[in-house]
Amino acid sequence: MSARYGMVIDLDRCTGCGACMVACAAENNVPALPPKATDRTGITPMLVHKVSNGQEGAEFREAFIPVTCMQCEHETPCVAVCPQQAVQVDPATGIVMQMPQRCLGCRYCMTACPYHARYFNWWDPAWPPGMEKTLNPGVSVRMRGVVEKCNGCHARLHAAQEKAAAAGNREIDPRDYRPACAEACATGAIQFGNLADESDPVSQAAHSTNAFRLLERLGTEPKIFYTSDRPWVRQLAEPHPARGDKEVKHG
Amino acid sequence: MTRISLTFGLGLATALAAGWFAFPYALYVRRAEPLDFRHKAHAEKSGVSQCTDCHALRDDGSFAGIPQADVCAPCHNESMGKRNWLVNFRQPANVWFSHAIHMRRAKLDCATCHGPYGESAQPVAYQQDRISGYSRQVMDMNTCEKCHRERKVEVGCLGCHK
Amino acid sequence: MELTRRDLLTWGGGATAGLLLTPLPWKVLDDTSKWTQNWPWIPQPSRAPIEVKRSFCTLCPNGCDLRVRVASGTPVGVSPGPQSALCPLAFGAHQLNWHPGRLRQVSHLGKAASWNDALAAFRKAAVEGPIAVVDAYPRRAGSSVMENFARRQGGTYCIILSAEERSLAPYAAWSGAPVTSLGYDFEHARTILSFGAPLLDGWGAPGRVPRLWSTGALKLIQVEPSLSRTANAAWRWIQVPSGSEAALAAGLARVLLEEHISPARAPLPPTTVAEAAAQTGIAEETIRELARTLAAHGPAVAIAADGDPAVAVLNFAVGSIGARGGIVRRREGGPSYLTADNLNGHFRAVLIDATVPWDFAPQADAEVFRFAAWNGGGSRAHWLLPAPGFLEELTDVPTAPGSAVDTYAIAANLSTPPADVRSPAGFLAQVDSALPSVEDIIHARCRELFRTHTGALQGEETVPVSRFAAPERLEEALRTGSVWVAGPPRSGGLRCRFEQWPQPTAPRATADWTATWVPPVLPPLAVKLYRESSLREPPAGRSI
Repeated sequence: MSARYGMVIDLDRCTGCGACMVACAAENNVPALPPKATDRTGITPMLVHKVSNGQEGAEFREAFIPVTCMQCEHETPCVAVCPQQAVQVDPATGIVMQMPQRCLGCRYCMTACPYHARYFNWWDPAWPPGMEKTLNPGVSVRMRGVVEKCNGCHARLHAAQEKAAAAGNREIDPRDYRPACAEACATGAIQFGNLADESDPVSQAAHSTNAFRLLERLGTEPKIFYTSDRPWVRQLAEPHPARGDKEVKHG
Repeated sequence: MTRISLTFGLGLATALAAGWFAFPYALYVRRAEPLDFRHKAHAEKSGVSQCTDCHALRDDGSFAGIPQADVCAPCHNESMGKRNWLVNFRQPANVWFSHAIHMRRAKLDCATCHGPYGESAQPVAYQQDRISGYSRQVMDMNTCEKCHRERKVEVGCLGCHK
Repeated sequence: MELTRRDLLTWGGGATAGLLLTPLPWKVLDDTSKWTQNWPWIPQPSRAPIEVKRSFCTLCPNGCDLRVRVASGTPVGVSPGPQSALCPLAFGAHQLNWHPGRLRQVSHLGKAASWNDALAAFRKAAVEGPIAVVDAYPRRAGSSVMENFARRQGGTYCIILSAEERSLAPYAAWSGAPVTSLGYDFEHARTILSFGAPLLDGWGAPGRVPRLWSTGALKLIQVEPSLSRTANAAWRWIQVPSGSEAALAAGLARVLLEEHISPARAPLPPTTVAEAAAQTGIAEETIRELARTLAAHGPAVAIAADGDPAVAVLNFAVGSIGARGGIVRRREGGPSYLTADNLNGHFRAVLIDATVPWDFAPQADAEVFRFAAWNGGGSRAHWLLPAPGFLEELTDVPTAPGSAVDTYAIAANLSTPPADVRSPAGFLAQVDSALPSVEDIIHARCRELFRTHTGALQGEETVPVSRFAAPERLEEALRTGSVWVAGPPRSGGLRCRFEQWPQPTAPRATADWTATWVPPVLPPLAVKLYRESSLREPPAGRSI
């Protein structure tokens, strides 16, 4: 039985602390880049964007939007353009699998991704002496010249699959597979689950009328859903040119 | 025979000999294991009959691989287990192979992939490829794909890689 | 027969054709591609098996519980334990022990020295005059050793209060109870009025108020001059100019008392509501509405982040002193500690624990022995002594500051420390051999817990203490990640009195997002938050 893993992120409960970003980097052996790195050359498979309501003074408010690979299901842009077939949608899980070992670094996928969710290794990864012992054994280390992105914390899926197999079960226990970002979120804003399982509360939340996705009009059918009761946040996330809404500005 | 065909033929013969004989000989460097471990002798003397008696799955499903000192300790005085074994089947760092899935789900016999290693009287000589650094015996991706194709088990890239 | 160039060329042609009929070109190509996958300068993770262990974070006094994945003595991943949530910095903390700023060698006035040199100097100082000991994470077993030492030596042990405890200082002054025995009962509050406390972003454990807030059961009102993350997420943000918080507190108290909606009795503040409105720029009607919310949506509690008594006094009118959902006293008795800013007298030397913030400056003429795991740079300490880092030593976890119930846990050491580090407790034991060891103190504390028969151990299940057969079983459960939790505080346990409406104190500078983080260096992965993204501001005045 195949799964479709996705997330529902409650933007009203995201306080912008950034725990998900650090947990993601730690889980995926992403190095802390040297001081010459910037927010354009950095590697942040989970990236929390800060947006504001454009008001002044006491009415000014911000919102935080955690963005990872959207795990697009329909005409996945990065898969369509890759000359190496280094990225593939896994039919068993719905996760868009990026294979750094096959990547030749043309960065076509980075151009194709509408969510800017892909990152290039401009430099070879380096850790201070001894720190490489703290690397997560479940995730391979990438060298410079390849693109990487959120892989749905595949090491954790592997561990869950292995545990299930050892116990003689066909399916994994959903409690054993929880990506680092969802686990790190102190307020529970990030919820991860199987969208194909109707009994999964995440699936129910994703299918509710309250949930929206970023850039839905592009038709990539992302599997990362967002909810918010704040109209200005919903409006920012899905601007309608016909309404004269301005495109979202970062930072 | 014309001179051209003679020289051409010589070239051909040289290349064939180099490619089929000299190259495989020179490509691999033989390295000695830290210990001359003989599976057959152990099976006969200590009464272990299954591979999994020493090479087992841990509680979390991961594979224990080559036994550590604690497995050898009941019979051997000296520290036998903690050695830098040259592992013939060691896969690259970016490969994730789950013994649990292949043993329990696919119900594969150890010999299917490893051959009748457990009955071997002598360890297989470790031959290391000088260019790639891997053992001559290591299972390459084509073999994995072949078996998966035959048994119609589809896995995506990250099903085997990490 | 002479060999000509043509011979060579035809031979070459034959060889090329022949090579293509051998595996050589394909194997060389394939092997070369594998060779390019394994550059030796790209680090590889360990192949050792991973064990999941439980422990507690020791980098700030909140002591959040952790699940740590460990591969051959080195942590390879940090996750929250079942009871907690972690701050962003905790997820990179397992890499801290290899931070370039890690202190690995004793140094004296900038030059390398040995532990024996340091011991000799310390023993000499101990003989020549009293020694002050400064500890920013009191009530640990190691703290007890330091306290013991100071008492036996004729010196003074003092503590530095955490931000949460500083906010409780007024109630300690009004009740005579030690500030370290007080807490906020947020778990039963329905409204929190926070004057500048970053409750959702760096105040108290991340798994405490953020979790309560995210359930929607808690109304958070944030009073602050500028929009912090807490103010941004709060139910209401009340923007007041810095310094006028006391006026707002007074105005709210006045409404509560004048309109008889306060559950308690208290003298009227000197400020009228109109005056409060004028000073804060908040409309009178808004102040009244706010006060009514506090009364209607109780239990409510106010927090004066910088411990300003003129703000804390509002809690009398709110009725939260000693009440459920308000300011509570965890237990009777308990020691009262001298704080470092009240340290008077002349000391021959000062011993500073690794938990003390890097910018702490002791008195000018004492010889300073500074324990630290990481070097923040520019230290004026005479002796820099390398201390154990993250999860490198066995220690215990006393009640988190500001907690409403007493708790106790033991933080197992999961990471192999470098050869030459020593904790203050270990160091002092070599100076005064009569001091107990940290392990002895932990054993004793477990025996005491067992003897009291109160509370329960929360682990996979909750087990009352009375069901443990022996103190060793209890200690074993604690060492594997359970937490002892006391019963709830009895209400009415805290009684405060004040004579006159307090004067406001000067406001503290607003802290940045790294303020509660004690080590002078951040975990390397923190750069994701401010350098490789624009989520946060770069940390102020801290080496990265």
